Amino acid sequence: MQSSSSPHGRGFDRLLAVPLAAYLLLIAGLIAGVFLTITRKAVVEAFSEPALLYAIKLSVVTSVVSALLSVAVAVPAGYVLSRHRFPGHFVADTILDLPIVLPPLVMGLCVLIFFNTAIGRWIDRGIVEEGLFVYQPLGIVLVQFIVGCAFAVRVIKAGFDSLDPRYEEVAMTLGATRGQAFRKVVLPNVVPSLVAGGVISWARIFGLFGPILLVCGTMRGRTEIMPTTIFLEVSIGRIEVALVVAACMILISLGTLTIFKRLGGKGYLW
Amino acid sequence: MVNNGVQLNGISFRIGEFAIEGLDLSIRDGEYFVLTGPNGAGKTILIKLITGLLQPAAGAIRIGGEPVTDLPPWERSIGYMPQDGVLFRNRSVRRNIRFGLEVRHESKRAISKVVERTAGMLGITHLLDRMPAGLSGGERQKVSLARALVLSPALLLLDEPLSAIDEDTRDGLCNELRAIQRKMGITTIHVSHNRRETELVADRIGVLTRGAIADIMEVDKKP
Repeated sequence: MQSSSSPHGRGFDRLLAVPLAAYLLLIAGLIAGVFLTITRKAVVEAFSEPALLYAIKLSVVTSVVSALLSVAVAVPAGYVLSRHRFPGHFVADTILDLPIVLPPLVMGLCVLIFFNTAIGRWIDRGIVEEGLFVYQPLGIVLVQFIVGCAFAVRVIKAGFDSLDPRYEEVAMTLGATRGQAFRKVVLPNVVPSLVAGGVISWARIFGLFGPILLVCGTMRGRTEIMPTTIFLEVSIGRIEVALVVAACMILISLGTLTIFKRLGGKGYLW
Repeated sequence: MVNNGVQLNGISFRIGEFAIEGLDLSIRDGEYFVLTGPNGAGKTILIKLITGLLQPAAGAIRIGGEPVTDLPPWERSIGYMPQDGVLFRNRSVRRNIRFGLEVRHESKRAISKVVERTAGMLGITHLLDRMPAGLSGGERQKVSLARALVLSPALLLLDEPLSAIDEDTRDGLCNELRAIQRKMGITTIHVSHNRRETELVADRIGVLTRGAIADIMEVDKKP
């Protein structure tokens, strides 16, 4: 085992590594169990269904769009919260924690209740008769964004917190406008936090199930995403197909995390 | 003769318990002025008021004869060198020095020429392709100075620039600072706590106490 500390006490360090090894073994064992249980027949059966392919596509597209939206909102929001103390700062900061602390199902219920109010109905059905969000794919993006954005703001704000405000001050004395200082000095210095914020919100969003079920239902070929597919397949006793979908989610998650960890470099979270 | 240095007239500013009330200060064109005083006297606040990073509640600031009180920092002709340099850590030394000229949209050729010349003058040409993380304290301050000087500012503001430098290196840097300031003729305000540093560089010394100029002394420089 490579250690940055002195050679003395290596036995103690090895002892500390035991819980890590046990936890890694547990996770790896569970994931291996999924892949070992899958049969070739189940894979063929699952991928011959257009509904499953649609669910994979919808899951990937909505989660990526929602994560990008979350980062787009989290950058200015995190910056304002990090750099300024304004009346209501504490309240804003606390409200921001609600989507993190509350069960996602509660957030979904809140969205559903909102779309049952007069203003909610107008927003949902004011432009398109069949609705924009409720029982619609766009609703999936909305719910994912509501839950995921708070995670992105938290991580990206921490990145801004760790950057000395004097960088911006010096940039402005050198001739950079406020916008140039933000674009050329602040943002390039918090790239690892931006990547981490995007990944964390995507990871939260990708597996989101309860609130999407509430707001958008599970209409095959329309609002069905991978987690709801697993739920549907298990509920009708097709465990093998549910396992294939679960394996797909594991592979997509592993691939995405690996790519972003490489992109993020030695960042805030890693 | 018209004084084109720096004039502060009736500057007032308040932050929490600390206040500057009606401060007047005149710094001569091309002068090396050292601002000293105890901790909490308001030296850094005064520097930030001159840079435009803080806005006075009342009073007027003129730099090089131009009224700048209502101008943002990026429209004032200043060069600012903060404590420990504050080099942009994601940019090489060369790109740090180029920064101010790039945001002013100078031509690439003109930028390269000025950067090479200034780096040569400060003896940091060999550092141009290094990243700030690998530089010593003295090197960082020289890069920070070069980044400010390439803009040919009317006023150079040095906020405790040598406080993190060891004593042996400090004397050398003081002499270099003084020589460069004389060569370029830039009006300079240098904040310092260090008596020896002050004596080595200053034409005049201003003592700031609780937000007010308590004393101004001429330094007798032997030829």
